Amino acid sequence: MYLTLDKITKIFPPRGGATEVNAVKEVSIEIKRGELVTLLGPSGCGKTTTLRMIAGFDFPTSGQIILDGKEINMLPPNKRDMSMVFQSYAIFPHLNIFENVAYGLNVQRVAKSEVERRVSAVLRLVELSGYEKRAPNQLSGGQQQRVALARALVMEPKVLLMDEPLSNLDAKLRESMRTEIRRIQRGLGITSVYVTHDQIEAMTLSDRVVVMNKGLIEQIGSPMEVYRLPRTRFVADFIGRANFIEAVVISGKPGDLLVRVYGQIVHLSKVKESYAEGARLTLIARPEMLRVAAKGDLPGVVRRASYLGNLVDYDVEVGGQLLTAVDTDPRHTAIYAEGETVYISLLADCIHVLPG
Amino acid sequence: MTEAPVHPSANRRFSGLLRRYREFALISRDPALLMSLLFCGIFLLLFVFFPLARVISNGFFSPEGAFDLKYFGRYFDSYYGRLMREIFWNTIQMGVFSSVLGTLLGFLFAYAVTRCQIPGQRWVHLIAMIPTVSPPFAIALSTILLFGRNGLITKRLLGLDYNVYGMHGLVFVQVITFFTVSYLILRSMLERLNPALEEAAESLGAGRYHIFFTVILPLLIPGLAGSVLLLFVEALADLGNPMFIAGNLTVLSTQIYLAVIGEYDYQKASALALVLLIPTLVVFLVQRYYVSRRSYISVTGKPTSGAVVEKSQLIRWVCIGVTYITCVMVILLYATVIYSSFSTAWGVDFTPTLRWWNDALTRGVEAILDTTFLSVVATPIAALTGMVAAFLIVRKQFSGKEILDFGSNLGGAVPGTILGIGFVLAFNKGQEVLATIVYAVLALFFIFFASPSRREQVLILLLGTGVGLGLHFLLLGLDMAAVAYIFGGVYLGLALFSLARRQKNRASILAAIAVYLALFDLVEYIARPIAAASLDLERGFLSNAIYQFADYLKTPFQLSSTLLGMTLLMISALLARTEDARWRLPLGIITLALPCALFYQDMPLALTGTPYIILAAYVVRSLPASVRAGVAALQQIDPSIEEASQILGADAQYTFRKVTLPLILPALLTGLIFSFTRHMTSLSAIIFLVTARWRIVTASIMSDFEQVGLMGASAYSTIIIVLVLIAIGLLNLITRRMLRGRGDVDISIGA
Repeated sequence: MYLTLDKITKIFPPRGGATEVNAVKEVSIEIKRGELVTLLGPSGCGKTTTLRMIAGFDFPTSGQIILDGKEINMLPPNKRDMSMVFQSYAIFPHLNIFENVAYGLNVQRVAKSEVERRVSAVLRLVELSGYEKRAPNQLSGGQQQRVALARALVMEPKVLLMDEPLSNLDAKLRESMRTEIRRIQRGLGITSVYVTHDQIEAMTLSDRVVVMNKGLIEQIGSPMEVYRLPRTRFVADFIGRANFIEAVVISGKPGDLLVRVYGQIVHLSKVKESYAEGARLTLIARPEMLRVAAKGDLPGVVRRASYLGNLVDYDVEVGGQLLTAVDTDPRHTAIYAEGETVYISLLADCIHVLPG
Repeated sequence: MTEAPVHPSANRRFSGLLRRYREFALISRDPALLMSLLFCGIFLLLFVFFPLARVISNGFFSPEGAFDLKYFGRYFDSYYGRLMREIFWNTIQMGVFSSVLGTLLGFLFAYAVTRCQIPGQRWVHLIAMIPTVSPPFAIALSTILLFGRNGLITKRLLGLDYNVYGMHGLVFVQVITFFTVSYLILRSMLERLNPALEEAAESLGAGRYHIFFTVILPLLIPGLAGSVLLLFVEALADLGNPMFIAGNLTVLSTQIYLAVIGEYDYQKASALALVLLIPTLVVFLVQRYYVSRRSYISVTGKPTSGAVVEKSQLIRWVCIGVTYITCVMVILLYATVIYSSFSTAWGVDFTPTLRWWNDALTRGVEAILDTTFLSVVATPIAALTGMVAAFLIVRKQFSGKEILDFGSNLGGAVPGTILGIGFVLAFNKGQEVLATIVYAVLALFFIFFASPSRREQVLILLLGTGVGLGLHFLLLGLDMAAVAYIFGGVYLGLALFSLARRQKNRASILAAIAVYLALFDLVEYIARPIAAASLDLERGFLSNAIYQFADYLKTPFQLSSTLLGMTLLMISALLARTEDARWRLPLGIITLALPCALFYQDMPLALTGTPYIILAAYVVRSLPASVRAGVAALQQIDPSIEEASQILGADAQYTFRKVTLPLILPALLTGLIFSFTRHMTSLSAIIFLVTARWRIVTASIMSDFEQVGLMGASAYSTIIIVLVLIAIGLLNLITRRMLRGRGDVDISIGA
């Protein structure tokens, strides 16, 4: 493993009357060379603190950070060979674009010709050639973002850290920068850690996603794994939308699970684990796994129907619970109005199950 | 998990200690950071906490050293009691009247400037700033000239027999002197008041008066309270105005001054100082920990763009009227100062004469040059220290940060007379214990850098200190000049040794130290002929100026030995950090021993009579303004800009130089302007520190008033104002050059 976090804990000492804060709790992550790993979670989940400990701005209270075989726990940031793209970009306002990108190289006293060569190469990479003499405030948000990226990339760092780099951009620009970052990161093969609270960003960018909540890791996995096989209710809820349906096991052989849901018996064919009879389960059903039709398993009443063109979004009340369902093909199916009685069917082969 | 701790409290204490140690370890990873922290810490210990502690304790001990409450007892005494209590109540009364009236005037002024579209707004602002650049007694002086017994207005124009001396005159003078402070505070609050709030109230149907009393006023209460408190302290602390205009009325500050100058009774002065210190300290703490936290208006935010205009013509014209009258009064008062400096005998003979100016520029030139020289030297020290302290306060996490923040503001907040007495008590004799404490701290810091091995650290500490003390006794008979030559020789040897090992940088620094030490005496050979040459000239401005110049040449090189030892020890520590393993033990011992010997050469820290004590007093007084300017500027800068520099490989020192300092340059220049102004115009803090060798204009006017006279004092005051204005102009010019298009220096930041 190239970068290892081994049981990292961070406790901020009490300050100004507040009690101490345990921001990160025994977090372990292993990152391969060239991989892009995203730390995903709601604000206050400890993802930024974790990133700052990797960068060296904060130091773990316990645990180890190992880079390329060496422990770097207490190494100051300027000795870590990492670079970082900040949420606010943190471009030096008193330096022009060239000087900004060249800053780190000048700290290392790289020869002038070499600096010019590397800076112009990296500016070409982020498509900012010709902007060398501009002042930062003469650039648009997207361009500033690319300067920040260039300034980090020019150092050829061992690890590239990105702290919500796209959160200050508008939606369109965010989308294009996302693919841009992915292209450059893949092309250069830089090991990267990316912090975001935006699940779509995490899904599109990462090789692996680390979902964090309240200082703990909920799940580590590829984007597909965390969506299809969420390990916890929190992950299922945070990534995409999910209905949580309570169920009781009738017969629990692997691959042939019979459960009772709202008084109806449902057959789940893709579940690998075996469960004891009578055990309580939670079915995790993504909205697109619920089919709304005139006939089916569970009777319900439409409480909300939003027509969005390519899909219809329903809230259907079933057995006292509101279930969200999406009809992804409204051109070929009937569209129901609020108050209509409908039947919901579970696409049994996609449903994921959590105990409890 | 692990077994339960036996004593949870002990465990907690231990973890606190561990945390503190880890913080220290973190900071010490960056030597420049640790050094700046040490520098600030030692500076505050020596020149703020120690002198103040001396004043406080001195009031309780008789000159023989016995515990004694004599002077506190006098407040309850049947003989002295009445007078003592009367003076105390006079002081409080004066403070209350001055602060309330000053705040009222400041508010009207601020409201007129921000809300009333006052014609000539820029000029009004500039006029309001004049009292801040003048010596502390200038207003009292001109008030006497205008309204005194021979006053131009009272006597000549109106023919009255009006007595301006006393409480009413004093309060008038204090209000004019200090309303600017209030004006600046309230103006910035009014500018930052979100106009949407008033518009919301208006849209809900509230009238102008209703809005004023239910929205504007409540939001301004923290600012008003802060202003009253600040003015109260300023009025209490002021010495110059009461000395001139209080007449038979005595207030605490003048009582303290008389105890020192008249009776030479430092115990009495200290006891009275404590009485004066208590209300100021209470106000300082209330202001710091209560009022400033209650503020509804974020002071760091940018001024709101949408200007609100006062719609009620009555309110508008009342504000404008009061403002104009005050402006006219300020101009009149200052014009009087200038005019009187050109008249033969005020009130009697108004014939124009250059006599007072001639006097000031010949006999008085020494004081003028001394004042300017020391102010100039202290200015960059104060401003840079302020920026470094602000940086530590805003950006770094360490235990004792509160103390640093508190201490750097304390020195400027306590009345100057108290600080001055503290300086006299603290530095009029050798302070071996204090010097040893400082030495111990610096030596620990030194060995920490000199070697990574615990064993070598202990060896260096013991042997270095031992050799140092040995050297000290060996050189006991020699004077400082000889010691400087010998040590210079040793440093030259060290430089050559480094050169032999191809360590060019280290060699040049060591050689620079050697040259510096040699100059301790060599500078005499440059200064003496210059001084001698000046004596051949005809006595007058030029000859005096050149004579003084010869002295100024010596000042940078003849640093008192303990201060020299501290400086050398810090430099040596940084050099020792990168020494090779083979030589670090012997070199560590030598470079610790030499500063150690210097620490105890002469009487450690006996600074009285040297220019350094005045410089220190200046810096202590002007530090808060610089720190505040720096803090305000740093809070506007996104910390990730500095973090970006760090992760790109720069250490704290490089980051501070290349990123932080350029970004807070406007604040630095504001700090410079404020510091210089404060130095040039300070009186109370240095009045007890001046000597025949080092004279300060403000103090000379005060102590030699009989000789100088009203017109002479006016001439000196005008000179100070002119010098300050020249300095402000120059610094503004430099700022414009450096910041091309980055905006004007905001003179109101530090106030």
